[in-house]
Amino acid sequence: MLELSSVAHGDAEMNQQRREFLKKAGLGALAGLGAAAGLFPALALEKTDLSIFPEKPMPGKTRWGMLIDTRKCSEGCTQCIAACHHTHNVPDFGNSKNQVKWIWKSPYEKAFPTASQQFQGDDVKSRKVLTLCNHCTEPPCTRACPTEATFKRWDGIVSMDYHRCIGCRFCMAACPYGSRSFNWQDPRPGIRELSDTYPTRERGVVEKCNFCSERLVDGQLPACVDTCPEKALTFGDLNDPKSEIRTMLHANETMQRKPELGTLPSVFYII
Amino acid sequence: MNKLRQTLVAIVAGIAVFAAAWFFVHAGHGGVTPARAAAESAPVKSAVTKAIPIDSTKCVAPAEYMRANHMRVLDKWRFDSVRSGARTFVTPDGRHFDKSLKTCLGCHAQNPMFCFMCHQYANVKPTCWNCHLSPMETQK
Repeated sequence: MLELSSVAHGDAEMNQQRREFLKKAGLGALAGLGAAAGLFPALALEKTDLSIFPEKPMPGKTRWGMLIDTRKCSEGCTQCIAACHHTHNVPDFGNSKNQVKWIWKSPYEKAFPTASQQFQGDDVKSRKVLTLCNHCTEPPCTRACPTEATFKRWDGIVSMDYHRCIGCRFCMAACPYGSRSFNWQDPRPGIRELSDTYPTRERGVVEKCNFCSERLVDGQLPACVDTCPEKALTFGDLNDPKSEIRTMLHANETMQRKPELGTLPSVFYII
Repeated sequence: MNKLRQTLVAIVAGIAVFAAAWFFVHAGHGGVTPARAAAESAPVKSAVTKAIPIDSTKCVAPAEYMRANHMRVLDKWRFDSVRSGARTFVTPDGRHFDKSLKTCLGCHAQNPMFCFMCHQYANVKPTCWNCHLSPMETQK
């Protein structure tokens, strides 16, 4: 009995020694590794090479804008709309509930509901005004977006990142110009001819005019400006005093849509 | 005396474990070290070949890296080009690429099944082609 207990006691002592030994050996190995990492940089974590990231464009240098001469815009012509909607794979389901529009024509009193309408000539009253996203300087839609799917770019374009859109439609409620459309269904069946210049959208995202940012990258003018047979659309940098659009704005009396809201649209109109 | 001997044995054992760890770390990096040396000498080479047009026969990154990380590269490229307008990707050896899915498809659409074969094998269902036109749709 006595012998047995002493054997057990010896075992416990043995285990204790073993535990101490392992603790010290482990500590020794750790200290060795730590010292080695300090002494030989090759053992430390690899550093990120930041030199491969190029400079970003400066914000506030460019502000793209458009000037629409409604006098030149001929009635019944929809070439710009067709060109835009084809370039950007905008679907057409033939009914107003599912309508998706980037650029469209509105009656004068709908485009400028707060402008003076009294005693105007029939010419102006019956005029159809080309309307699109105004790319506001103070866009209400980007403030409403909970996921930053729509945002103000460095060059003044109010852009959409369809990957992030959750389809909450807050931006549609916030936009005072009705420039945003919702995809209630898969848009692919509504596209007559697929264009490979721009992706399509999918069900459950909001879309709108992007001022042809994908064409601007290639140094091209927006599709609507390019196709207009009457040259009624002028596109350019509003921050450049020597640009064509600024000289046109200087020479003509122009209007913005709902200027009293303080959104500072980048789309101007000659009536 | 016994205690001192135990401590000494423990320290020697520690050094032995460290030496083993050192060996394993170096054994693991043995294959990479020559490659790294080659990469370090690359800028000299690229300075000479700078006038030559873009070589699109070589991918933006090594195939093994792209196989594992192409989705991260695409996500980063999208963020950079859409949000900050930093559209140019420069490879470590000095080649310039537009940060766009079109850059990838410029080569990889040669085989319209390039994306699909691997995704099907790995049983992953990326949503890219819900909106972007796949090489299957553009090449008819």
